[in-house]
Amino acid sequence: MTDAANEMEPLERVPSGIPGLDAILFGGFLKSGVYIIQGTPGSGKTILGNQICFNHVSGGGRALYVTLLAESHARMMLNLQPMRFFSLAPIPGSLYYVSAFQLLEEQGLSGLLDVVRREVRSHKATVLVLDGLVAAEEVARSPREFKKFIHELQVLASVVNCTMFLLTNGSNNAHPEHTMVDGLLELTDRTLALRSVRELHVRKLRGSACLRGAHTFRITEDGIELHPRIEALLANPSTQDECEPKRTTTGSTRLDEMFCGGLPCGTTTMLMGPSGTGKTTLGLHFLAASTRKEPGLLFGFYETPDRLLVNAQSLGLDLTERVRQGDVEMLWQPGTDDLLDALGGRLLDAVRRRGVKRLFVDGLRGFQMATIYPERLIHFFTALANELRVLGVTTLYTAETSQILGTDVHAPLLGISSIVENLVVLRFVELRTQIYRLLSIMKARYTDYDSSIREFHISRNGIDLADSFESAEALLMGVARPEDLAIFPPRKGTPHSRSDRRK
Amino acid sequence: MKTILVVDDEFGIADTLSSILEDEGYRVITAINGEQGLARMAEVTPDLVIVDYMMPIKNGSEMLREMRKIPALSAIPVVMMSAVSEAVVKKECEFTAFLRKPFNLDAVLGVIVRLIGGPSSAPSA
Repeated sequence: MTDAANEMEPLERVPSGIPGLDAILFGGFLKSGVYIIQGTPGSGKTILGNQICFNHVSGGGRALYVTLLAESHARMMLNLQPMRFFSLAPIPGSLYYVSAFQLLEEQGLSGLLDVVRREVRSHKATVLVLDGLVAAEEVARSPREFKKFIHELQVLASVVNCTMFLLTNGSNNAHPEHTMVDGLLELTDRTLALRSVRELHVRKLRGSACLRGAHTFRITEDGIELHPRIEALLANPSTQDECEPKRTTTGSTRLDEMFCGGLPCGTTTMLMGPSGTGKTTLGLHFLAASTRKEPGLLFGFYETPDRLLVNAQSLGLDLTERVRQGDVEMLWQPGTDDLLDALGGRLLDAVRRRGVKRLFVDGLRGFQMATIYPERLIHFFTALANELRVLGVTTLYTAETSQILGTDVHAPLLGISSIVENLVVLRFVELRTQIYRLLSIMKARYTDYDSSIREFHISRNGIDLADSFESAEALLMGVARPEDLAIFPPRKGTPHSRSDRRK
Repeated sequence: MKTILVVDDEFGIADTLSSILEDEGYRVITAINGEQGLARMAEVTPDLVIVDYMMPIKNGSEMLREMRKIPALSAIPVVMMSAVSEAVVKKECEFTAFLRKPFNLDAVLGVIVRLIGGPSSAPSA
């Protein structure tokens, strides 16, 4: 026999049709496998089972949904009706619903197996969902008999090329059938403090790698919306790091000069500072430099796109035109109850969809508020930064620091400054009843930079950064008199204005 | 007393309908699929059959087609039940009346009375 003849056919995949789930399973379930989906009541098993069926038949497959002790089919369909995946069209032609509970009561596991065999064959089903496995387990006279039933289902699945999903209530405690099946997925629904979170765990998957650990999901009008953990999904970046030695303008000529030619492409820059220092304004400058070749994206949490456009207009930045031309997209995340991985997924989808090269994230706090597990954040941002880098995206984040005035600067997230390549700090300084703004580059990888502190102000012309450190030095030494600030003279009518002094 | 055969695979539906119709004065026999339904009809000829469309082993339309081949059963009125629409089921078979699931008691009783009258209208065969 030749080597080719000796080789076994590779296992085909049966996608669930749920994008996040297929990503976790590296393409879907293995064909003709038998999988248990377990979870407490209300965790989403029935929706998942139905969604798999509907997706399967919409791809040309045929599905059989067998209920044991579960809600009536009519009630189930009424409850599924709001879901976008649901349609009566394939029923009963390619998706058939039957109940086998009475048969199970009358004839036991052998009767159940018999009817499953007959119905799978008569309907030529390539997917079977058996909803209510616990009812079958209760009828079994011993754990051995139940294991035998599962084994016979596996043989049937293999012989008739039908992928089977057995839905059951249950906990993660070991059950005899867990050792038999090809995979075990667990759905949980927990409350942590005031938030409820739904998670899917792949506890077992024969024949395939998978993304392990907990992955959050929601039940929406689209059914199960699963968001793989970003740091698991992007454990390895999706593509090669091209590492082009190009520069991207910050949108401010003087800031570009401080970076000796602009930001290195693909790097992440954090703009840190208290509220009101001008972080968002700098971000708008950055976005306003977007072009067709360098599309921009705002991923914001605070101000609405309309407000930001008005704000940009007041700074002399024509972002409205950039948006109209399609060079800039603004995505606003208003939710206060969002999921961290949903945010990450949404951001990356938007980046990939338009080939974004300039990303402005306003701000870090939006991600912090979305996480259930704060200790994840560093891993999340590391994975995100790595992926954005290989996609050639130059990113600006804003991060608010708590101290409004003063020289202390506390990083908003422990360890974040080690992830970002460039760190720019903005702060307020008070002198003689006036508040001034200062900017400094604290760190820049892959480039030389001007480490001097510069004064800047915000006007109808946007951000105006001093071309030298002198005014900032004078401010910080406390020796500057307002009239000495040649670049930024005090406003007329203030006590220290030159015109007043001449009087 | 009129006799009604209720055929439905779903647990609870056949039992519940049976209890309600017995309360109304009908005699009710039940089955959990089309094959069992035909077996029941070989023992007792009902005045009316209420049958679910989607069932294992033999579904409602398959059972109805076989009934039509048996002289003693061919004229019995059949009410088809389903969660899918009447138009879809009509493509498969001809029935006397249709009940869309989930149905309410008034709809069920209305159809029964229209087809065979009250429980004591005429003696069963």
